[in-house]
Amino acid sequence: MLHAERLTKSVTSGERTLTILHDLSLSVAAGESVAILGKSGAGKSTLLGLLAGLDTPTDGELSLFGHPLSRLDEDGRASLRAGRVGFVFQNFQLLPTLSALENVLLPLELSPRAGETDTAAQWLDRVGLGERQNHLPKQLSGGEQQRVAIARAFVSDPELVFADEPTGNLDPDTGGQIIDLLFSLNQEAGTTLILVTHDHALASRCDRCLRLIDGHLAAFDPRSLVSDEAPS
Amino acid sequence: MSNLNARLAMRSLKRDLRAADVRALFVALMLAVAASTMIAFFLDRLDRGLERQASQMLGGDLVLEQRDPFSEDLRTQLEDAGFTLSDQVDLVSMISRGDRFQPASLKAVDDVYPHYGASQVDIGEGTEPIASGPAPGEAWADPRLAQLVDIGIGDRVQVGQTELTISGIIEREADQSGGFGSFNPRLMLNTADLDATGLVQEGSRVEFEILAAGPPQALDNVQALLDELRREGVEVSDVRVDQPQLGNALQRAESYLGLAGLAAVLLAGVAVAMSTRRYVERHLDTAALLRCFGASQRQLVIIFSLQLLGLALIASLIGAALGLAGQALLLWLLANFLPMTLPPPGIMPLGLGVLTALSVLVGFAGPTLLRIRRVSALKVLRRELDPLPPSAWLVVSVASLVFGGLLWLYSGSLPLALALLVGGAALLGVLWGVSALLLSGVLRGVQSLSGKGPWSQALRLGGRQLGRRRQAGLGQLMAFSVTFFAMAMIVLVRGDLLNTWQDQLPADTPNYFAINIQPSEREAFENTIDPHAEAQSALYPMVRGRVIAINDQDPREAVRPDARGDNSLRRELNLTWQAEVPEGNEIVAGEWFANNDESADTQQGWMSEVAATPKAAPVPISMEDGLAERLGLTLGDQMTFAVGSDEITTEITSLRNLNWDTFRPNFFIIFPPDVLESFGHSYITAFYLPEEEQSLVNQLVRDFPGVSLLNVEAILGQVRDVLAQVTRAIELVLVLVLLAGVSVLYAALTASRPVRAHESGLLRVFGAGQTMISRVQGAEFALLGLASGLLGAALAELATAVLYLYLLDLPPRLHLELWFLLPLGGALLIGIIGHSLSRSLRQQASAASLGLLGEA
Repeated sequence: MLHAERLTKSVTSGERTLTILHDLSLSVAAGESVAILGKSGAGKSTLLGLLAGLDTPTDGELSLFGHPLSRLDEDGRASLRAGRVGFVFQNFQLLPTLSALENVLLPLELSPRAGETDTAAQWLDRVGLGERQNHLPKQLSGGEQQRVAIARAFVSDPELVFADEPTGNLDPDTGGQIIDLLFSLNQEAGTTLILVTHDHALASRCDRCLRLIDGHLAAFDPRSLVSDEAPS
Repeated sequence: MSNLNARLAMRSLKRDLRAADVRALFVALMLAVAASTMIAFFLDRLDRGLERQASQMLGGDLVLEQRDPFSEDLRTQLEDAGFTLSDQVDLVSMISRGDRFQPASLKAVDDVYPHYGASQVDIGEGTEPIASGPAPGEAWADPRLAQLVDIGIGDRVQVGQTELTISGIIEREADQSGGFGSFNPRLMLNTADLDATGLVQEGSRVEFEILAAGPPQALDNVQALLDELRREGVEVSDVRVDQPQLGNALQRAESYLGLAGLAAVLLAGVAVAMSTRRYVERHLDTAALLRCFGASQRQLVIIFSLQLLGLALIASLIGAALGLAGQALLLWLLANFLPMTLPPPGIMPLGLGVLTALSVLVGFAGPTLLRIRRVSALKVLRRELDPLPPSAWLVVSVASLVFGGLLWLYSGSLPLALALLVGGAALLGVLWGVSALLLSGVLRGVQSLSGKGPWSQALRLGGRQLGRRRQAGLGQLMAFSVTFFAMAMIVLVRGDLLNTWQDQLPADTPNYFAINIQPSEREAFENTIDPHAEAQSALYPMVRGRVIAINDQDPREAVRPDARGDNSLRRELNLTWQAEVPEGNEIVAGEWFANNDESADTQQGWMSEVAATPKAAPVPISMEDGLAERLGLTLGDQMTFAVGSDEITTEITSLRNLNWDTFRPNFFIIFPPDVLESFGHSYITAFYLPEEEQSLVNQLVRDFPGVSLLNVEAILGQVRDVLAQVTRAIELVLVLVLLAGVSVLYAALTASRPVRAHESGLLRVFGAGQTMISRVQGAEFALLGLASGLLGAALAELATAVLYLYLLDLPPRLHLELWFLLPLGGALLIGIIGHSLSRSLRQQASAASLGLLGEA
């Protein structure tokens, strides 16, 4: 499904070069759920960006669905994602001018399954917002917006879903409900899930946990420690 | 795929219409289309109206005139080209009734006459419009002829060898063909009676005319034929070229309207550019998200282009509807002037409007929109990752190129468009530099304010905020100053145009011409009109003379081939003599005749020679520059005139420019004094007779039967009407330009809203009250307005000077009021609009201002 080999990501600022990720390797099998833990500024989002093909590594090899990303340009990587990769973001990233239903339809419209309005409506039903189809994002609460985002992530039956701090902007109760929803849908669909978080409790629900420290990934058992991470 | 792009684009557009930038974009495009279609519709119909009117005055769309009958072959060619033909014969002959004899100008017309309009004829039941000529065996006399030979309806007059019955008194002829050339009273008869008169014989002075009416296409078809006819010496009047003298004023009005339309389009373009910038910034997140879900760069461009295209099409439709309504309003304003049966508005102006909207969109929004394709999908994770805005030079270059194309399209002149474009680009560069200097100067001035009062503090803070956003401030300063400049220019040019027209046709512009005043009647005539008439022009002596040689050659051989049929070579010219340059004339080349007293010797020289041997030394003459250009003559060329039985050889020593629109006697050729006095001459004058003094006309006709009085009140009234109505039309267009200007202000202020929201949020966090924030914002806008006003005034002054000199043909002048009104008005206008647009920002909680910013 996803294979990263000796990934390095450096950024240059003036004369200084800062290496964020260093010689990092990772393989994720189909159907697996993987949590990537790390402190604020550890490079979690940078890693997510690389794995999803949103950004390119300075060095190393990365393949997604068997395609080496380094041989694809930005458009090629985008087309690889179309319909096969879902996203859930910390700040929901719903389009403010589109209704809940239209937001869910968006990934379908960019795939060969354009116009499957019924599918989108069913997914809104599944996340409990069947009655709110025509509401704009600003008419929905934070929790409801994230439900729409989750419906959007799963609507195209993706093979892989990336979730970036999906509960970061929500209160604990709502966050808990969102996580339950995310994992239950993931299980039903048999989707591969890569979750970036600083929340150990959340990470512990994944099949595998990895911790990002000083640009390196290490296997980690979240139940072995009490969460000491500060929210980002 | 394209379907889904369109669906996605339209779905967002529907919701996006609520966003301020989209609204500004929409309004700007709508205004651009409304202005351009309205003006295009209007000019299209005005042109057609003028052409119809010109055709009526000319007697047809094409008039051919020569001394011999026209061949059947030519007739066939013209008819094949799509013309309907009418024959006319003009000649001067004596007519008589009993023992009264009178030379009259005969005009024989056929059954097709007139092609356009109708004559005003009294056939016994008062004056009525009649769209035909007299029937065979009948004739119509004008009132002067009726009075001179004492005839009325039903009387018979002798014309050559036949007798005709007077069946009508003709007050006004449908056309003016064969009209003003002769000052003899008119008798109109039917061509069927010509043979019976026996007047048309070998050697008699007869003009044969073909009046042809047909569509523009027909005129296009015969251009080559017309050139050939001109070379053969046929006088050709083509309605498109030989429009009568309503001329200059309307031409200027047309130039002005075209200019105003382009100003509106330019302003709308600036507004579009500014709104698009904000639109793109607002959609970067969306674009990033779409990238994230797999959209390609091309798809992004398609989706957002489709969205703007949809917007442009809707704006075009509404704008075109407004333009149509606007032109209907213009036509209503001009109803008295335009012929009643105008063809419906064509489709062309509509197409032009839509093309304008699309061009403005591509030119002013294109480069900015392309920024969206460079958005990185990574922006969904790192919001600060915005693609760099396109370079200002790229935006300006593309916009200039497209605007240059529009200039070309509208003006029809590539050199003019290029000159304006290059000039504009250079100006923009200079403007950038000057704006930067000016902004620094104003800011420095404000920072040095030492007052402790709340307003000084607000000015200092406002100035500092402006200074912090230097690049954005500069952009706004340029946009505002261009806006003020365009608005000021349109107002200034309008004012100066109107003043010039008013100066040109004051209330006491002569409404009567008196012709054929004999030297013996001169004093008595002057004494009679003097107590009643106002604004009388000088009495000009007039001698009839024919050009018989130019540079010792046959005149037709000596002039340009296309001028061989020129009226001036075929008819007698009215020659006059003057010691001074007549009022309204301006020497443009050579020198006016040396004063008699100062150079008595030289004067004496040619005078004595003239007296002895008229051919010996050429007499200096002054020629109208238009005629000289038509004939291809210049200073030093010699012309020989036959005056009476003498020949006088002259040399062109000066060229004069004169204004034919002044309703005063004007002359192509002026001699120095003491050359023509000995020849038979009469006088011509023009004077203004107030309404209450009209009874004097009857007295003049009675006391001076030989004097022809031409009433030009009707023509004058028509010109005044046209000017008044065109003025109203111009005001309507002005409103559009001002609205386009306001759309720029709105767009610019909308674009800067988020940053201002952030700043006011910060100020509130740090403890500033609403009043203080309100003052700071007001001060910042007012400073921006002040600087823009100053720069706008400088630009307007410069541009109007250039325009007056090269396009509108008016003398340039300094507009001092501009330097006060624009900076002050700018400060007030921007201050007030900006301040009120920012009201909602000030009312937002500080946290909201600092958080999610203005995502409408």
